[in-house]
Amino acid sequence: MYKVLLCWRYLRTRYLALACIISVMLGVATLIVVNSVMTGFSTKLRERLHDLCSDVLIEAASLEGFGDPNGKMEQIRKDPELAGKIAAMTPTLETFAMIQFYWPNGEMITKPIRLIGVEPEGRAAIGGFSNFLKFQKNQTKPSFEVSEDAKQRYEWRLRALMQPAIPQAKIFPDNFDTAESVPQPVAPTPSTVKIPRGAIVGNLIASFRLEDEKQKGKYDDYYVLHPGDPIYITTVSGAKLAPVNDSFLVVDYFTSEMSEYDSNCVFVPLDYLQHLRTMEGRVTSIQISVKDHHDARLVCDRLKQMFSEKSLALNIVTWEDKQGAILQAIEIEKGILNVLLFLIIGVAGFGILAIFSMIVAEKTRDIGVLKALGASNGGVMKIFVSYGFLLGLIGTLIGTSLGVWLTENINEVEQWLSMSTGQQIFNRKVYYFDKIPTDIQAGMVLLVNIGAVTIAVVFSVLPAMRAAFLHPVRALRYE
Amino acid sequence: MRDSTPILSATSLHKTYRKYQQKVQVLRGVDLDVHEGEFISILGASGSGKSTLLHLLGLLDAPDIGRILYQGRRIDNLPRHDRDQLRNGTFGFIFQFYHLLPELNALENVLAPAMIKFSFRDWWGQRKAMRRRGMELLERVGLSHRLKHRPREMSGGELQRAAIARALINEPRVLLADEPTGNLDEQNGTHIMQLLRELNRQEGVTIVMLTHNLDLIADSDRVIRLRDGLVETEPAYSAPLSTRPMKTPALS
Repeated sequence: MYKVLLCWRYLRTRYLALACIISVMLGVATLIVVNSVMTGFSTKLRERLHDLCSDVLIEAASLEGFGDPNGKMEQIRKDPELAGKIAAMTPTLETFAMIQFYWPNGEMITKPIRLIGVEPEGRAAIGGFSNFLKFQKNQTKPSFEVSEDAKQRYEWRLRALMQPAIPQAKIFPDNFDTAESVPQPVAPTPSTVKIPRGAIVGNLIASFRLEDEKQKGKYDDYYVLHPGDPIYITTVSGAKLAPVNDSFLVVDYFTSEMSEYDSNCVFVPLDYLQHLRTMEGRVTSIQISVKDHHDARLVCDRLKQMFSEKSLALNIVTWEDKQGAILQAIEIEKGILNVLLFLIIGVAGFGILAIFSMIVAEKTRDIGVLKALGASNGGVMKIFVSYGFLLGLIGTLIGTSLGVWLTENINEVEQWLSMSTGQQIFNRKVYYFDKIPTDIQAGMVLLVNIGAVTIAVVFSVLPAMRAAFLHPVRALRYE
Repeated sequence: MRDSTPILSATSLHKTYRKYQQKVQVLRGVDLDVHEGEFISILGASGSGKSTLLHLLGLLDAPDIGRILYQGRRIDNLPRHDRDQLRNGTFGFIFQFYHLLPELNALENVLAPAMIKFSFRDWWGQRKAMRRRGMELLERVGLSHRLKHRPREMSGGELQRAAIARALINEPRVLLADEPTGNLDEQNGTHIMQLLRELNRQEGVTIVMLTHNLDLIADSDRVIRLRDGLVETEPAYSAPLSTRPMKTPALS
């Protein structure tokens, strides 16, 4: 009982111990916030990567692709081992290409892109497609159909180009954001305009971000390509790699908030791309989504048995295999960060060691008195180890509350810090998130708590042992 | 028939302290017998070894040579746990500088040896009875109005009285007092001595007191002088035991 009583009294009277509590509290709060933010980023990134990539992928090893995709899909549907596991399948044709389009100032812009031919309904069924579209968001049957407004805009633009008297500079007005500022063309003659096929363009190809001058940290997208604007795509044909090109009209934007996709991808109709590349009947991949994501590996292994073991030209992977490098990098980064951050609590532990050594020195005579009254060495040691445990526990509980609160309000805190310091802490332009993603995991919080308390106890053992083995007479005479 | 075996005795005690390369021999062969119910004063100048002798008797330290016996049984070589128990239950300590624990109030300080004696679970069963006893002891020493006061809120005399109450909580057989009035003024010192005399005469508590003040030894049954680590004179034990109440039955 005397151990409990003394421990409690030391806690209430030794203000020096507040330093221990504060150091543990800060370490725990930091670990929780950083882990939650890292996990949030990691989770969001994982979700996005998974969204953008189907559960299982049958890929061609070569740009020439493989033939009979429908036959293969039929074979998959009929396979008894895969019965009931497949949710949707769709073929795609992907290749590298160049995109060209006019900026509003008349300048021709050329960029490299990933040109992906898809069947829009089939691709939407796989997931990670229509939910990223701006105008056809979450539609089960998105399409490349050019709307009437887009057709009209294209026709106006074409006829304006045909007007010799209009200088080029006036075609693209200063205010490029609105169609109303385009000069009205003369009344069109009966239409002979051929409307190109539609294309869905990555959001970062069609726009750029600028920070709001009046509100720091707020970014707006300014579009240079609108629905109905033409783009010119050049790629290579399948057999001889001869250059082929055609024009398309923008019908929609693809916004996944992953710059790798938004700044590179252009989607066009699969059948037309096959024709353009003289690859009729051939595709470069079949994307497969499974009903239960946990079956992805099982399905992948079965498909390997069915296909790639017979042909080296096919590569069959799960989405995790495909994105393995990025995911692994994230996990490694997270692991290293955790180790480094735990060192913070380790530093707090050394603080506890130093402070406890001071407290033991301060309490030397009282320890002598306790021993004179019959307290055992173990009893004296338990007082200080319990004290360390109590300090660790209190610091951990306060630190956890602070960490959770900070994580829940991370965006408000970030904005306040940005305003106070004048430094942009979370650049929304770089990360393309409106908010800092967070994910507080109970397991992580528990682990941090246990670790922090353990460190506090471990670092109190040495001073406690010193107290326990003090000679009673020397302790009583200590000044 | 009363047992004449000394309750506490020391045989040929030697103790040397080492400071770096220097050796200081504090006790050079001290023999001492303390009989139950005695009030013994040990006189000696500073450095005579009287504090060291008291520490050895109370098992706070171990002799280099010699033995310490309690009721005829050697105790200086007992396991640590047994020595702790003897200090807790058999001996009561009173220090010159009181040595109350500053974080505890007067009552809690008095109860400290009892809290050490009982386990956490046993204490919950005993706490009310022990609290009552603690309050009685504080009343006995005239501190019933200071139960909740911390040591920093009490005078020197009050602190020493609280220390005496603490020393008595576990009903010790022997009180070991190291210059109990050394840090008090004359009036408080007189009160403390009066208290100790009452404990000895009325309750038969055996007291071994260290002092260098000749004025305090008047009521002692025996005075033992220490000089340079040796007993200078030890009058033969002659106090009639029959006039004193036995505190507890002698051990067989």
